[in-house]
Amino acid sequence: MSSSTIPVTVLTGYLGAGKTTLLNRILSENHGRKYAVIVNEFGEIGIDNDLIVDADEEVFEMNNGCICCTVRGDLIRIIEGLMKRKDGFDAIIIETTGLADPAPVAQTFFMDDDVRARASLDAIVTVVDARHVLARLEDSHEAEEQIAFADVILLNKTDLVTAQELDVVRQRVRTINGQARLHETQNCVVPLEEVLERGAFDLDRILEIEPDFLSEDDHEHDDSISSVSLSSATAIRPELFMPWLRNLTAVQGQDILRLKGVLSFPDEDQRYVVQGVHMLLDGNHQRDWKPDEVRTSRMVFIGRNLDPVALRAGFEACAVPANR
Amino acid sequence: MIDAMRETLVQSHGRRAEFGAEPTAILWLGDDAWLTLGDGSVRHMTDAGEVAAHPVHSGAILAACRHPDGRSIVTGGDDGRICRVTADGDFLELGRFDRRWVEHLVASPASGLIVAGVGREAVVWTPGATGATGPSHRYAIGSTIGGLALDGKGKRLAVAHYGGVSLVYAATAGSGRVALDWIGSHLACTMSADGRYVVTALQETGLHGWRLPDLRDMRMSGYVAKTRSFSWDRRGKWLATSGDACAVLWSFDGKSGPMDKPPLLLAERRGAIVTRVAFHPRSDLLAIGYDDGVVVLTQAGDDRPLLVDEGGAAITALSWNDAGTRLGWGDEGGRIGILDMAARA
Repeated sequence: MSSSTIPVTVLTGYLGAGKTTLLNRILSENHGRKYAVIVNEFGEIGIDNDLIVDADEEVFEMNNGCICCTVRGDLIRIIEGLMKRKDGFDAIIIETTGLADPAPVAQTFFMDDDVRARASLDAIVTVVDARHVLARLEDSHEAEEQIAFADVILLNKTDLVTAQELDVVRQRVRTINGQARLHETQNCVVPLEEVLERGAFDLDRILEIEPDFLSEDDHEHDDSISSVSLSSATAIRPELFMPWLRNLTAVQGQDILRLKGVLSFPDEDQRYVVQGVHMLLDGNHQRDWKPDEVRTSRMVFIGRNLDPVALRAGFEACAVPANR
Repeated sequence: MIDAMRETLVQSHGRRAEFGAEPTAILWLGDDAWLTLGDGSVRHMTDAGEVAAHPVHSGAILAACRHPDGRSIVTGGDDGRICRVTADGDFLELGRFDRRWVEHLVASPASGLIVAGVGREAVVWTPGATGATGPSHRYAIGSTIGGLALDGKGKRLAVAHYGGVSLVYAATAGSGRVALDWIGSHLACTMSADGRYVVTALQETGLHGWRLPDLRDMRMSGYVAKTRSFSWDRRGKWLATSGDACAVLWSFDGKSGPMDKPPLLLAERRGAIVTRVAFHPRSDLLAIGYDDGVVVLTQAGDDRPLLVDEGGAAITALSWNDAGTRLGWGDEGGRIGILDMAARA
């Protein structure tokens, strides 16, 4: 198969956050692109030029012994069907229901070989209601997971909160997910190139972490989601790193919602990128390191019950100078 | 091994055509091939090579089968319509399901039934039901239908879905149901002509089967990809399946089916995956299509398959006409090939 897979953007967000507003903006803007849009409710969307497909959110457990492996059976079917009309669109947008856990959607793009051959997850975009999110986080696991899974967060309805309230919300969102690109918006007004077709999870900038948001004692209670970011100036040895990461995800995969990394291996001119959802991992050589690029290896984990000290120790143990 | 320097059979005894859209099926009415395509059109290719294009659906045609009358075809699309297309290219709408996709179609000349899989419904037309009368009845299924199959008499219908298969007698709206339960998502399915075996393809790859009426389970594993294509040989003794580097043939000879018998593995090609299989209707020949566009003919005990075609994209459709004198195939890129077996003689 060629490497020209169709980019897929997943739109999530709790009920009322403004997901449909964003979708309508995407579809009505004159961008010259044609989208296939997979929606869950027959909403007030639909522009003649675009292809709207109804989904059922059928979450299937994989019968493969992996306890957290669930996929969206309907997406597998729909993406396969869409590909029969290959030239009809440039990208796919998937809207999830407000109560959806993003894991099965993301895992579909790791688990199903036929989907992987045709489509690739470009970004998970989460719309967050600045006014109500703190209350939602108190009573909804899904609201928290939607933020945790995001590559791009639209902190929306900022006009409905005070500057101090916004600070609190921003801090809370950043505690859950320190690595997503965050845009503060009203009516989801954001340049669409910040949301769509970002390319390969946008790893380059995603991993430029803002350290302030990653303090490890921000936990409000044990069950809340947090991010841990790690970096190493010393090259990572793959023969140590791979078994460490595989074992880590096998043991703690249920708690690890997402992980991402860009790694420098000794004597290799290419960057190695890795990403994961729960117990599923996917790694690849991505591109050459640029001549002026600092070869720093970085990883981000987002999940529950993460032990930053242990993660750091494990990662650093893989960064051993090769001449020892 | 396939000799790369050898001339392919399609060059010496067949012909090719380019249709520019992926074929979902190649159906035969006599010696004429009917192709249903991803651009919504039906192409009628006469034996003389003339092609007529009939725009039938506004999206892709996702499913197609021969009408029970043997003189027309039935198509289902992502435009939610089911149409009957006659030999002169006229079409009649049999049903309309709005934004739901029509993903599966089966029909039986023996019973005259047509069954469509539309989302979570199996929709049935009994003989005589037309566009004016609409479908005869429907069965609600708990999850989206993954595959449909009828037995040889065209009476018993297997509906594959998440968690197993439901069996009904499809002519009767109030038919009792037999639930064949097995965890996982069940996709393509097939039933032996005698109705004794039901086999499904699993999302995780591999097959699950049930022997009727005792519902004994069978597991057939080891595939590298999902099985999408099943073909029974003319005697009903072998079931050929896709989903690995070779065609995997399970023996259904004897009382216990394929249990405790290793499968027969034919025409392995390393690095490729079989996407379509089609047994010849009157001999032991098996046609095999791969994901790299290669098509071969082989049979049990033959270690040198005949190369029919190569160089295209993944084969998505492959079928013989009833007489077994023509083999047709098509690939993802819209390239079509027809082999004239009579010309070989």
